Amino acid sequence: MAEFKEAPAGSSALTQATVWLENRFPTAFDAYKVHMSEYYAPKNFNFWYFFGSLAMLVLVIQIVTGIFLVMHYKPDAAKAFESVEYIMRDVPWGWLVRYMHSTGASAFFIVVYLHMFRGMIYGSYKKPRELVWIFGCAIFLCLMAEAFMGYLLPWGQMSYWGAQVIINLFAAIPFVGEDLSLLIRGDYVVGDATLNRFFSFHVIAVPLVLLGLVVAHLLALHDVGSNNPDGVEIKAKKDANGKPLDGIPFHPYYTVHDIMGVGVFLMIFSAVLFLAPEGGGYFLEYNNFIPADPLKTPAHIAPVWYFTPYYSMLRAVTDDMVKVLTVIVGLGGVLAFLKGGLPGIWRVAPLAGAVVVAFLLNVFDAKFWGVVVMGLAVMILFPLPWFDRSPVKSLRYRPDWNKWLYAVFVINFLVLGYLGIKPPSAVGTYISQAGTLFYFGFFLLMPWWSRIGEFKAVPDRVTFHAH
Amino acid sequence: MSGTTTGTVGTMAQAPDEGIDKSKRTWIAITCGTGVVGGAAVAVPFVSTFAPSERARAAGAPVQVDISGIKPGEKLTVEWRGKPVWIVRRTPEQLAALKKLDGQLADPTSDRKAYPTPGYAKNEHRSIKPEFFVGVGICSHLGCSPSDKFATGAQPSLPDDWAGGFLCPCHGSTFDMAGRVFKNKPAPDNLEVPPHMYLSDTTLVIGEDKKA
Amino acid sequence: MKKIILSLLASLALVGPAAASSEGPAWDKFPAGRVTDLAAVQNGAKLFANYCLNCHAAAFMRYNRLRDIGLTEEQIKDNLIFSGAKVGETMKTALDPKDAKDWFGGVPPDLTLIARSRSDSAKGTGADYVYTYLRSYYRDDTKATGWNNTVFPGVGMPNVLWELQGQQKPIYVEEKDPHDKTKTVHIFKGFEQIRPGTLSTADFNTATADLVAYLQWMAEPNQTSRVRLGVWVLIFLFGFTLVAWRLNAAYWKDIK
Repeated sequence: MAEFKEAPAGSSALTQATVWLENRFPTAFDAYKVHMSEYYAPKNFNFWYFFGSLAMLVLVIQIVTGIFLVMHYKPDAAKAFESVEYIMRDVPWGWLVRYMHSTGASAFFIVVYLHMFRGMIYGSYKKPRELVWIFGCAIFLCLMAEAFMGYLLPWGQMSYWGAQVIINLFAAIPFVGEDLSLLIRGDYVVGDATLNRFFSFHVIAVPLVLLGLVVAHLLALHDVGSNNPDGVEIKAKKDANGKPLDGIPFHPYYTVHDIMGVGVFLMIFSAVLFLAPEGGGYFLEYNNFIPADPLKTPAHIAPVWYFTPYYSMLRAVTDDMVKVLTVIVGLGGVLAFLKGGLPGIWRVAPLAGAVVVAFLLNVFDAKFWGVVVMGLAVMILFPLPWFDRSPVKSLRYRPDWNKWLYAVFVINFLVLGYLGIKPPSAVGTYISQAGTLFYFGFFLLMPWWSRIGEFKAVPDRVTFHAH
Repeated sequence: MSGTTTGTVGTMAQAPDEGIDKSKRTWIAITCGTGVVGGAAVAVPFVSTFAPSERARAAGAPVQVDISGIKPGEKLTVEWRGKPVWIVRRTPEQLAALKKLDGQLADPTSDRKAYPTPGYAKNEHRSIKPEFFVGVGICSHLGCSPSDKFATGAQPSLPDDWAGGFLCPCHGSTFDMAGRVFKNKPAPDNLEVPPHMYLSDTTLVIGEDKKA
Repeated sequence: MKKIILSLLASLALVGPAAASSEGPAWDKFPAGRVTDLAAVQNGAKLFANYCLNCHAAAFMRYNRLRDIGLTEEQIKDNLIFSGAKVGETMKTALDPKDAKDWFGGVPPDLTLIARSRSDSAKGTGADYVYTYLRSYYRDDTKATGWNNTVFPGVGMPNVLWELQGQQKPIYVEEKDPHDKTKTVHIFKGFEQIRPGTLSTADFNTATADLVAYLQWMAEPNQTSRVRLGVWVLIFLFGFTLVAWRLNAAYWKDIK
């Protein structure tokens, strides 16, 4: 108690209340300083830097609308579909809450993909921010699980059959697959048991994990400080008070900046919600307005649009593709053996590994390897900080051809997504296969291509033009 | 959270002692005002989702009853909003007996406000038609449903001059043939008279009345 | 960087509209504005109650919601409820699912959401589908009901509107197969009226459009008020963003 601060004599009630609180909960006041009023962020944030705060906004929207939906939704296979229509028609303003949640789900992925892309182009995952990136990838993984499980809840045709297909992917795993699927489903086919456990995960388990990961993501970021479009470390140049010369307090500058971003985002979000909530059949799929029928598979099942790039890769792994992969794995093993530079007996390790993988590739079904490829496509994001050997963080100072490479990466991802929506076709399969190889090549060959070419000089100070 | 910037950050060019920046204050005020309006506009629909849904309102909709089959001295029970509603066709003797009971009743003229008696039932027989009593069959003490005790005279738990009415089995409250509660009983109020009206001499609607 | 983004967007445009995964004939366009024409939707409600509710349910639609299209509860009770249901109840059907299986080979699907569920990005809206479907019946003695349908070949549902429409015959034309010049394919070119109904073709199309307008409305009764509210919300948000932009400028003018 001896360290208690005293409010100045004659100060207002508000000041006295603040001092009372500060004496008993100094952590909150310190946190405000550390994370808001004295968190020095680079002053040159651009358009790409809105998406982190927008992702947090969408998370809040989903949680709040979710809470209100759960007041009326019935997680019972016999009542679920009907309860959603009950919310749409009978609950006052229920339709608004439902559309906010469905639009929010798609908005979440758009925002998160753009947020991740920012990380990629500015090298925000590079030292010392690797852990921020890893927490982020974990969030992405949880988000995919959350969306997948949430999609079963309306119990429409797409909900049911989408879940059936995806859970059957686990059945493709050799030896343990069938039992694993049985354990996930809680039954021999997707049914009430599956619905109830997905409800529990979607409503409480995964959101708690997500919240924890978001907190970790932000704390880890604030510990090392934000990156910026120039990739300049602002902490390298500080003023007499120890504040970065190119830094500005997050509050009020970026709180005010982000509020503007929120305004624009809400306009787009509301335009979709009020004027076109079905999103052309991509945000609310047409087939999902038919109650789930275990006896009738719809003509055309596809996952929701945000999963389609990965779905494309899964479908691309045909028997022919497995042969191609075997060759690639073999080549990789040989290259690593000849040029790997690993000491002593470890020289043969990659070659041995390649032989084992090549063997397994031809033992197990292409179906299983499709699942593995799809899983790896997400997991390959985690080690990105170690793949990237560029001496420079930001795309701005890398060789020009890098910019084209990233453009192709984006187009490739979009094309894979588009193909994932369409039913399979011969041409589509070839393009998906090429696209899958490009996607993996982009990451796996990065240790080499990220060092090729002429890099521009990175300035000492950020490039900033006064507003 | 101050609305002004205190010049501790080296990169900001603000002349010392410039005072409060009016433009920032103005825009903060306008933004907050707009934000509050927006927030309220969002809060209203969300809170409305708490209100009874169309399904609840449909389930609580008025009930039509055909009373032509009730004989004098008989009671018909119908359900309205999950509650039992009694329609009792009183005999002339039962009606006559009502006048003499005022002194024994807690609220003989139905003035209490807890379950307000509708204007058209604020009379001696507590109903629109003297013959037919319409009341919710739930004791105003703790919610049990009283039993019929239409027979007159002494009976267990009833006084010797019992003129007919209802006895609640849970804690012994008694009500007369107009649903009025007797003094010194646990129940404080008369039986509730629900909104009701007659569409014809034989059709009664419970849940709706003429004075909307 | 900006150049790259622009060329990226330009190349997306080349991806072009979805390749039509169309099986079956193209759908006629339902006059979409009709859903705001209350008289048309009311007429559609009448047709729906008379022709559809005998076999199909609309289990999520409450009768009293019809107040939103300008009907009073009296009108609803007197003209549209044939089953003795209360006006607050949902539109159920008297047809027993077991009988349905025996008579039609399957249970008639619930129609509450039919106009939303049948949409197809390549072919048209669900309303387009139903509008085309109801007008595409033709006599076919090889079928149990005596009717077949070009939009849904082998459908178990009979042509309930036959008295109004009369009978028509599909016209097929032989054309060269675009994929193989040596073969020919049957191309469906339209219908020919062989026996008139009580309505002329134009009137029948209008009546069907009314019915479909009702189905479109029933699939989402809030749709028009949703759009109207949305316009106000967007105006408000535009104003808010303007204000937020000026607030941002007020702070950032200090940053050099």
